[in-house]
Amino acid sequence: MAAESRPPLLSVRGLKTYFQQDEGTVKAVDGVSFDLAPGATLGVVGESGCGKSVTARSILGIVDRPGRIVAGEVHFRRRAGADGEVIDLAALPPNGPAIRAIRGAEIALIFQEPMSSFSPVHTVGSQIVEAIMLHQQVGRREARAKAIDMLRRVGVSSPEQRIDQLSNQLSGGLRQRAMIAMALSCHPTLLIADEPTTALDVTTQTQILDLMRQLQREDGMAIMLITHDLGVVAEMATDVVVMYLGRVVEQAPVDEIFHAPKHPYTQSLLRSIPRMRSRSRERLTPIAGAVPHPYDRPAGCPFHPRCPQVIAGRCDRDEPALRPVGAGHAVSCFLYP
Amino acid sequence: MLAYIGRRALLAVFTVWAISVLAFAIIQLPPGDYVTSYIAQMASTGSVVSEEEAETLRIQYGLGQPMYVQYLKWTGQVVQGNFGMSMEWRRPVGEVIGERLWLTVVVSVAALILTWGLALPIGIYSAVRQYSVGDYVATFIGFIGLAVPNFLLALVLLYLGFVFFNANIGGLFSPELQDAPWSAARVWDLMKHLPIPALILGLAGTAQQIRIMRANLLDELRKPYVVTARSKGLAEARVILKYPVRVALNPFASTIGYTLPYIVSGSIIVSLVLGLPTVGPLLLKALIAQDMFLAGTIVLLLGLMTVIGTLISDILLVWIDPRIRLEET
Amino acid sequence: MARPEAALDPARVPESEATAVVGDQRLFVASQWQLMWWRFRKHKLAVASAIVILGFYAVVVGADFLAYADPDLSEAQRSLMPPQRLYWFDGWRFAPHVHAVKGARDPQTFKRVYRTDPGEKVPVRLFAKGFEYHFFGLIPMNRHLIGVDADRDASKTIFLLGTDVQGRDLWSRLVYGTRISLTIGLVGVAMSLVLGVLLGGISGFYGGILDTLIQRVIEILRSIPTIPLWMGLAAALPRDWTILQIYFAITIIISLLGWTELARVVRGRFLALREEDFVVSARLVGCSQMRTIFVHMVPSFMSHIIAATTLALPAMIVSETALSFLGLGLRPPAISWGVLLQQAQNVQTVAISPWLMLPAVPVIVAVMAFNFLGDGLRDAADPYGR
Repeated sequence: MAAESRPPLLSVRGLKTYFQQDEGTVKAVDGVSFDLAPGATLGVVGESGCGKSVTARSILGIVDRPGRIVAGEVHFRRRAGADGEVIDLAALPPNGPAIRAIRGAEIALIFQEPMSSFSPVHTVGSQIVEAIMLHQQVGRREARAKAIDMLRRVGVSSPEQRIDQLSNQLSGGLRQRAMIAMALSCHPTLLIADEPTTALDVTTQTQILDLMRQLQREDGMAIMLITHDLGVVAEMATDVVVMYLGRVVEQAPVDEIFHAPKHPYTQSLLRSIPRMRSRSRERLTPIAGAVPHPYDRPAGCPFHPRCPQVIAGRCDRDEPALRPVGAGHAVSCFLYP
Repeated sequence: MLAYIGRRALLAVFTVWAISVLAFAIIQLPPGDYVTSYIAQMASTGSVVSEEEAETLRIQYGLGQPMYVQYLKWTGQVVQGNFGMSMEWRRPVGEVIGERLWLTVVVSVAALILTWGLALPIGIYSAVRQYSVGDYVATFIGFIGLAVPNFLLALVLLYLGFVFFNANIGGLFSPELQDAPWSAARVWDLMKHLPIPALILGLAGTAQQIRIMRANLLDELRKPYVVTARSKGLAEARVILKYPVRVALNPFASTIGYTLPYIVSGSIIVSLVLGLPTVGPLLLKALIAQDMFLAGTIVLLLGLMTVIGTLISDILLVWIDPRIRLEET
Repeated sequence: MARPEAALDPARVPESEATAVVGDQRLFVASQWQLMWWRFRKHKLAVASAIVILGFYAVVVGADFLAYADPDLSEAQRSLMPPQRLYWFDGWRFAPHVHAVKGARDPQTFKRVYRTDPGEKVPVRLFAKGFEYHFFGLIPMNRHLIGVDADRDASKTIFLLGTDVQGRDLWSRLVYGTRISLTIGLVGVAMSLVLGVLLGGISGFYGGILDTLIQRVIEILRSIPTIPLWMGLAAALPRDWTILQIYFAITIIISLLGWTELARVVRGRFLALREEDFVVSARLVGCSQMRTIFVHMVPSFMSHIIAATTLALPAMIVSETALSFLGLGLRPPAISWGVLLQQAQNVQTVAISPWLMLPAVPVIVAVMAFNFLGDGLRDAADPYGR
């Protein structure tokens, strides 16, 4: 859909995040590159354990120990008011004031489980107010007013009462809305949503997605939507990145991903979705094999043991690089040299 | 919340009653009664107690009447502040105990404060910097605290102090201020002598609390709300102290109540070893001499003190944990 | 919704998975106890502690064999002798020996002073003959682990750990003291176990008023400072009771207050288990209450009980030691670690004869060992641990 006419808001190049354990090194993110345009929605898909969440956390520099960013750059274009320059987030001192000024204020993160994402002993409101007061020069009363406004904006009824409640007093959908309110309270330019609807029932899921689309329209915010649900991607995303075992295997605008997938993994993923129009008793086509153990990465292309189009002698020895195959479409596969 | 406090207070009253019964039992246990021991003691010094005197004493102390009557008499007197006579010291029990009870309170409270003051930061550090050198050192000291009974620790420290530093670390006051009336100088002297007994008493409790705090915090540190706090841009120290520590603090706080009886208990023996002028040495001597009014009263007062302390800590717990305030436990 | 991510989240891969390649199949068919044993084995400290404790109990059984001097034989002439150094080599030969010690009374201080005489070497023999005893109360023997030549008397010549005020060999007394100190704990814990499981079980299984009542009693007992009570009760024991009677009375006193911890653990387990689906289905299938409890529920928390019991032992040992140390528990001629430590009560004595504090060492080691062992058992028993 959107061509990269404007300079990207977020540009990740060769990001590598490794976890040093006693048993070995887990290469959770092993050379990930993609671009995100301002105002666009990037869907990041992949099976569990492919490194999507770790990528998101690496961008903000909050990877849990013993994980560390060992290589790569994360170029982020800051807000016009704040210099408007592009800085490399990966190069900033960890937990230093520079990256902390960006966290929450320009890049916000929402999680899968809103219940455990709020502190059980602090009110919802205090946590939102805290975010506001941290990044904006306002007093407590004004911050509280802004928090109530934000809650109202995300569709929380009676925000003046809700603001003083604990998170376990809210329903799942309300909690997720409160979480979105907290994330957007400082009007970030990029919202990273890590499986925001996986823990919700289908109806609430739709409502939350609608809310996110609406807020995006109003604020012109970019969204990086991490999910394993292709349906959500189809609905929300403008561009899609497909990840496998810590690498990007394909990146394309959403239409192309669904109608002209190039990488065998993407093709297998799409084939495995149950179809509405399939005949009864037709078997599901899962992807053969299982995701390898993190300590047991296959040599060469990480997908080759499960690939239906594997080229023996090539795929099990060399690692393919991400190469463009069309407008805004890139694949990492030896089928497309 | 009021209902919660009310329940705890009611329980406290029952506990005090149970202690009073036990204390009374202790008073009554040894064979013979106060008067027979008194007569025996008089006889050993050569004086004779006449039958009338004996009878008067018996009536005065209500001996010879059924147990429960004696108990009621005794509690009635106790409530009025009359704890009976100490046979050994030949003075009212209250006088003999004197300031010792308050000193016991001071030492116990000091141990409690030290326990918390040490356990909390060390526990937090241990959890945040897991597997670091500091963590291992803390764990090791913790094990020593748990494994070495406090009176043995006191003994060893006394020995070391004596032999290597030629100093007597026992006692709560310097010799010249031992029996002096209260003054600023005496208070300061007390402060200077408190740390070692407080440390010895509190070490086992500290060790346990460090482990509890560390375990709780380790659990909480993995939770998503910590990541949320960090992703909002909070400084690391605030992320840890404001969120997971706060949550880990709750089960931690609920354990203070039960550290107090342990500390008070421990202070008895440790006071003996260190020669502290608290209630401990007095109790032992009273028990050996079968000075039962003194002994029973001390047991009662110690129990009372502990129960009050536990009640206070329960009230504090409610104040700390909003979840108890909002729902009844 | 299940989080399969968690299983493959690199930061949280459990160690056992990486090594369970071969044992995978075994894992599925292993019984609960086997699983517990495998997990326990990994806890090196706990295993070491278990060995230490076994060693202690070996001493309990073989106390007569390990001692070389009659523990009750007192001799003023040998009062407060310092520990003797054991020399392993005489010149080049391997010949363990000690130097004879001569005692004399210092004419000025009237204290006994001891001097070792390097000229007179007393060889130390393994499996030497010594005083008579009955192994297990049945077999008369007179062999001991170490001793001296037949023409000398071990009681008068070796003092590996020195002697006490009455001239009795400390090592032998320590070895005998182990017997009482370690068994009194067992008896006490057994009683606490019975009380705890009974009351905790009733409390947890039946709930309701019984539960509330028992809970309140437990809370009351927990808020009472125990030592003054023990002191009071112990002091009230008649002086003319035999050692055995006092022994049992002390155990009863200690366990009367010690059952609360076990009861709490048992109650907690029962409460948690009551709601488990497998218990409900047992009842639905028609099992009687007894069967449900003993066949279905009890095996689930046996391991927790074992762990809690092991952790309760050190408290018993310390309590007895403390009481005897004060002179209110066991009294001479009974020998326990606490009785031995009673001689070390004041700092002046200890400053001159620091070896009198040696009985503190086994106390500390035993307490540490039981604590580590109990920790290891508890971690191994916990199905949700690592």
